[in-house]
Amino acid sequence: MRCCYNKVFGKYDLNVELKEGGIEVSITGKGKKKSYYRKAGEEEVEKIIYAEEGNVVICPVEPVNLPNEGTSQHLLIELEKPIIIEPGIEDVFYVKFPIEVGVFLIDKKDVERIDIFTITKPKYILYGPPESGIICKWWRSDAFGETPEVKRLYEGVMKVEAKNNYSEWVEIKKMVFRALDMKLFYNEHAFMHSYLEIMKKTMGETSFNERKPKNMKRAIDIYLAKGIKRLEKKFVMEWGFK
Amino acid sequence: MNIGAAIKDVIDYQIKVLGGRTVGDVIFFFVILFVAVIIAKIVRINIRRTLKEKVPKTTLNAVEKIFYYGIITVGFLAALPYIGVEPTGLMVAGGIAGIVIGFASQTVVSNLISGIFLLIEKPIKIGDGVSLGDVSGVVKDIRILSTTIRTWDGIYVRIPNEKVFTSNIQNFVAHAARRFEYKIGIAYKDDADKAIEIIKNLLEEHPLILKEPAPQIFVEELGESSVNLAIRIWAPSSHWFSVKTEMLWKIKVALEKEGIEIPFPQRVIWMADKKKAKI
Repeated sequence: MRCCYNKVFGKYDLNVELKEGGIEVSITGKGKKKSYYRKAGEEEVEKIIYAEEGNVVICPVEPVNLPNEGTSQHLLIELEKPIIIEPGIEDVFYVKFPIEVGVFLIDKKDVERIDIFTITKPKYILYGPPESGIICKWWRSDAFGETPEVKRLYEGVMKVEAKNNYSEWVEIKKMVFRALDMKLFYNEHAFMHSYLEIMKKTMGETSFNERKPKNMKRAIDIYLAKGIKRLEKKFVMEWGFK
Repeated sequence: MNIGAAIKDVIDYQIKVLGGRTVGDVIFFFVILFVAVIIAKIVRINIRRTLKEKVPKTTLNAVEKIFYYGIITVGFLAALPYIGVEPTGLMVAGGIAGIVIGFASQTVVSNLISGIFLLIEKPIKIGDGVSLGDVSGVVKDIRILSTTIRTWDGIYVRIPNEKVFTSNIQNFVAHAARRFEYKIGIAYKDDADKAIEIIKNLLEEHPLILKEPAPQIFVEELGESSVNLAIRIWAPSSHWFSVKTEMLWKIKVALEKEGIEIPFPQRVIWMADKKKAKI
């Protein structure tokens, strides 16, 4: 029996139609052969799926896959207004990050990604010098004192716990996070809880809290689904915060 | 007769064909060979473990074989006197042969050493877009003696490592980002600031044109027929060519859409004599 929902994120049977905020996802068909259709903005994708059992999970994924997978594995969030942190101070603020939505087929044995899409306008940036820097997905956000309102298919909320371990004031304009370290959760919106540890005037470490917040679901980790191991769980920002 | 004495007799038994060497000597010959094989195997396993993640499979196989057979050869030479063969004679013959082979194989050795240096220095990696001397393309394999390139037009090229090592290497993807440039002329009657703004907005829309380093657009030259704009764009090294091929036409279309003319070369000629010719 086909089910219709007006929320995209969630776990569904292999016969479903979803519509929310300009996004349409459907899996239709009888027997093993199903048709997958997705529309996000102007972009439309159709695929044929052969599956008998299992479910489809639609959830936010690490926002570095589009428009070109492999171009970047880092997300750089540029703050509209820089934050200046006193030595020894620990502060919590919230920023927004772009949403990419992953569609996965899951059964008892395996997780298979069938689509990733976004309605955000992606842009890349170079963090560091051209000869040794890294290409990052770029996003600009205000820093908020409390959880901000977001359009859930457009932006998610990242809680940042920043601690200045350096002996001087430090100004933060940019934060870089590695997709391999990210831990994404979702309910009404996507959520990540990150840490920023300032070690020097131009050096810091970013990492993520792995603990699942209450009333939230854990998003499917693309890198775990691909079988990529996580060796280091921190990213060193060695080219500063500006 | 006790067993010990019988064994001693067998061990001390001299074999005439081997110049009076005893059975014990022959056994010792095989023991040395056996130990050499065991050592060679241990060394091979350790080389494989150490270099498995660091060098390509083909190179690893070659290095393994060099060490494996090298150790067995040394063991064999060390064991030869026990079967009545003096390696001194072999050494002399081997020395002469070595000189001959050395002359004949100096290019091979040179390629081998260059290959080892290439693996250590790593100026290129498999999958990189490179230019090696007069050959440009994608590196498909770096072997111990040669490097193979698939040129941009799909041709297989094998370059000896010595040539690779001594040529000017340009690696197009060694750095994360690279810059390319366009030069576009607009008519003198058009507003250059407006043209710059149009191009800037167009570049901002493209995801692969980097936010930072930001594109640079400026009037570079007041040319003979046009005001020449320079447009410098940074893109990820992995995608710069697709961006370059895509954007030039888009810039032309965007400028023309806003009424900015890209003029043909032109020259205004003033006639000194205004008399009209009678036809």
